[in-house]
Amino acid sequence: MKNHMFKKRIEKYKIQALSIFLFLFIWQLIAQYVINDPLLLPSIADIIRAFFKLSANIPIDIGVSLLHLSTGLLFALLVGIPLGALMGWYKNADRFFNPLIEMLRPIPPLAWIPFAIIWFGLSDYSAGFIIFIGALFPILTNTYTGFRNTSNLLVEAAKVLGCKKNKDLIRHVVLPSSFPYILSGIRISIGIGWMCVVAAEMFGLDNYGMDNVGVGNMLWQYYALHMMDRVALYMFILATIGIAIDRILKYIEARLLKWQSHTNIAQI
Amino acid sequence: MENNKIYILFTAVVLIAVASGCTSSQPGDAKLTALTIGVQPSTHQVAEMIAMDKGWWKSDLSKYSIVKVEDKLFPSGPPEMQAMIGKELDFAYVGAAPAISAISKGLDAKIIAAVQTNGSGLVLSNELAQSYTKPEDLIGKKIATFPPGSIQDSVLKHWLKQNSIDPDKDLRIVAMGPGDAITAIEAGRIDGVFLPAPSPAKIELDEKGKIVELSGAMWPEHACCVIVASGDLIREHPDMVKEILRTHIKATNYIYSNTDDAKKICSEKIGLSEEVIQHSLDNWDGGWIVDPHSIADSVLSFAQVQYDLGYIETMPKQEDLFDMQFYDEIA
Repeated sequence: MKNHMFKKRIEKYKIQALSIFLFLFIWQLIAQYVINDPLLLPSIADIIRAFFKLSANIPIDIGVSLLHLSTGLLFALLVGIPLGALMGWYKNADRFFNPLIEMLRPIPPLAWIPFAIIWFGLSDYSAGFIIFIGALFPILTNTYTGFRNTSNLLVEAAKVLGCKKNKDLIRHVVLPSSFPYILSGIRISIGIGWMCVVAAEMFGLDNYGMDNVGVGNMLWQYYALHMMDRVALYMFILATIGIAIDRILKYIEARLLKWQSHTNIAQI
Repeated sequence: MENNKIYILFTAVVLIAVASGCTSSQPGDAKLTALTIGVQPSTHQVAEMIAMDKGWWKSDLSKYSIVKVEDKLFPSGPPEMQAMIGKELDFAYVGAAPAISAISKGLDAKIIAAVQTNGSGLVLSNELAQSYTKPEDLIGKKIATFPPGSIQDSVLKHWLKQNSIDPDKDLRIVAMGPGDAITAIEAGRIDGVFLPAPSPAKIELDEKGKIVELSGAMWPEHACCVIVASGDLIREHPDMVKEILRTHIKATNYIYSNTDDAKKICSEKIGLSEEVIQHSLDNWDGGWIVDPHSIADSVLSFAQVQYDLGYIETMPKQEDLFDMQFYDEIA
């Protein structure tokens, strides 16, 4: 049985690897034989060469960008979860905050850059703030939805069993029931936060005392110098880190929500 | 399995065919009836603004079947050159440094005329400006300028090195567009900016900083803006290129003979008051020129600086960057 499962998994990864390999192969062919201009489309070989040239700096760039992401995300969780819970539990809080949230939500994180500079200067907090704006709303709305969707049956049953205070109901019933929504919100927030890194590092930052680092920052610098192989390399890095974060979070989500697995629809 | 192979092959063929289709259409295939010009919101490039405002581009080029001329504004040179790489521009008013960077990387284009020399200023916050006497006073400070590969980035780093200051270690140079840089210094978030006119004048008039150095003093008579024409335009429409140069010369002469009107046109185009433009022109060291020969040495010096900074991998020759035959024929 185990052997069969292993074979099935290998088969799945083979198809996924083939898809990526084919994409890169076609890219290389088009770049080399059709476009034949590294300014318009650098080939995969150009990008690999750029990777070896810059390999010493790449881990530092990734580290700095992850620190920016962590700063923004931490504040998004600190604000988003309590506010979402408050709005989901108390109707008047929902009525009060909902218009403000609806007003702020459509503003793209990029539009906040001038205020980020004025409020936080060219500091890492500016980058964190842009990421915070991007990451806040998914976690907030998911927490809100989780609280609103908690079954009345569970709440009433808890009350009958003596759990009557709001604090206790939230802690023992609503929060565990909303947990899948909150986790999913965190995953979406991290994904969107990572996408905001390029915008957040667009302007010069302190970069934790280091010059010219950060995945987004370097991407903009190489763009200004028309080094398109390096731009493409940093795009690949963004994609790879984004996928890695998503996979890790999906794994954690699956482990933490094992109790819920019977409700999942099996993937074909 | 056989079906899978056919499917994969089919997908590859379709993708390659689509990509070929996207690139096979050359601008010269069809008759050129519209031109797009790149320009930046700066007093440096007022000649383009005059020719556009007066309708000279369209009227002078109508004999070559041009019916539409439009210009596109860019915040700095690097994105403007990126648009040229994407074949969005037929010719561009742009700093020589981003042109060098792009041409060295393979952009099919050449510098056909000079536009202006000098014209940038180092502005420090009021407090710092009071005590500033020499370049060493900038050590430990945070200065914003245009991105790497721009004229301002090259001039500033070259000047610092000339004064034995390491631009990477002794101070922080942060890359920003003009809007962000003005916002940052006016909010007191950086110590200074090094920007092209009229941005330094705007900061001074807002009483948020003082000009302490002009770029002409940092690098005497350095080249700044040039006209870069695409390879397609040069090869397929040489007569049109000559006409573009004639119009550029006419517009440059107009700046000197009708300065007040030039200021007004510039003010309307870039959205700053005439007072700012006036203050900028009263306090700048720039000059509008046309002859590409006069800036050739300076442009090659910029190329050397970019080569030394590692921005370009090979040192270009004059003929790689310039095509002066059009200017020589009409001058």
